[in-house]
Amino acid sequence: MLNLKVEFPDDDPRLGAKGVLEDVAWTELMARSQNGDAAAYLRLLQEITPYLRRRVAAYHQDARDIEDTVQDVLLTVHSVRNTYDPSRPFGPWLLAIAKRRVFDSLRRKIQRQGHEVELSDEHDAVPDADDPLDAIPARVRLRGAIEGLPPGQRQAIRLLKIEEKSLKEASEETGMSIASLKVATHRAIKSLRRMLSDRGDL
Amino acid sequence: MIHTSDLIQSLAADIRPVRRLRPPAIRASGWLLIAGAIMVGLYFGKGLRPAFAERMSDTTFLIGMLASLATGVLAAFAAFLVSLPDRSQRWLLLPLPPLVVWLSSIGYQCLAGWVGLPPGAVTPEAAAGCASTLLVTSLPLAVAMLFMLRYAAAFRPVPVIIMGSLAVSALTCTALAMFHPLDATVMVLGWNLATAAIVTGVALLINRRASRQRRRHLRTTDRS
Repeated sequence: MLNLKVEFPDDDPRLGAKGVLEDVAWTELMARSQNGDAAAYLRLLQEITPYLRRRVAAYHQDARDIEDTVQDVLLTVHSVRNTYDPSRPFGPWLLAIAKRRVFDSLRRKIQRQGHEVELSDEHDAVPDADDPLDAIPARVRLRGAIEGLPPGQRQAIRLLKIEEKSLKEASEETGMSIASLKVATHRAIKSLRRMLSDRGDL
Repeated sequence: MIHTSDLIQSLAADIRPVRRLRPPAIRASGWLLIAGAIMVGLYFGKGLRPAFAERMSDTTFLIGMLASLATGVLAAFAAFLVSLPDRSQRWLLLPLPPLVVWLSSIGYQCLAGWVGLPPGAVTPEAAAGCASTLLVTSLPLAVAMLFMLRYAAAFRPVPVIIMGSLAVSALTCTALAMFHPLDATVMVLGWNLATAAIVTGVALLINRRASRQRRRHLRTTDRS
């Protein structure tokens, strides 16, 4: 069960933003608005908006939420303006509507937050080099790049780097000199680096 | 999102003169006049229940009937008062004292009825007559109340609907006590509480839809 209490504690609702006089002025403007005076209505709405914004800011930090709620209050004031009795002060009437709309906006916010889930590591989509699953695509690409090397370089990489044989063993197996194996390996790594970085992998 | 100053401009451009609501006491009295007219109609249409004068001398019956009448009248005033944004919600307590008296008299009736009613006393004809009185009284009253308080859907729907249904129930019970031999208070309350639940649901839906429409209005104005 939602239990929200919306109060504007620092506020005597009979006062406007600056004091009693302003409320009298607002009462007058609202009475004229009810008679269809567009200029009075425009002035009233322009004057109550900063006042409402300050009241609503006590409940919302996000500027967007504040504007949203203020606009909701203005729209409600517009749609129920026939319920205002000019023989009574305007402030309490306005604040009662504002409280209702702040309450609604808080309820919407709580509902929205209920549908949101905080992201954990599980939701991380950036590949992690230590994760064996994430490493598979990289391995496939590396293998493809090795296949693209000239035969001498490919053999040198396979024996020395993948099968991790010593230079002497590799030399015996291929009949190549140790120096030419070193050169082949060096060139192979250089061209692998070029090939993979061209594709943005390194 | 539309800029607030643009919204203000469009609201001011859209303004038309509105008719102020009359004071809540006068509006509640108007609604009670409708209830009174229905009672008079029932009196001429159906006539008072058999042995009405005799029943009136039964204190429990009399207290129950007057309490339900008082509950209906006070709940109607409370509904019209709390439907206005700047009136205190404490007005909701107004019908509480007669309501307590009324409900305790129902409790006694139930017990007495349980003991005293011979089997077969509630015939289908009697129950149908009861139901028709119930409909004739509560339906127009509920519709009139809904129409007169429709603006309250924008900000305080639930308490207003509860007070309104309480007023309708209580007056319907008064009518039944006057025009019908069966004490059907529990049936009337059940009927009206169910109606109230449905109306509340509809009001909440309307409220949500209105709120969504307000938002949509804001977004479409934004795009244009």
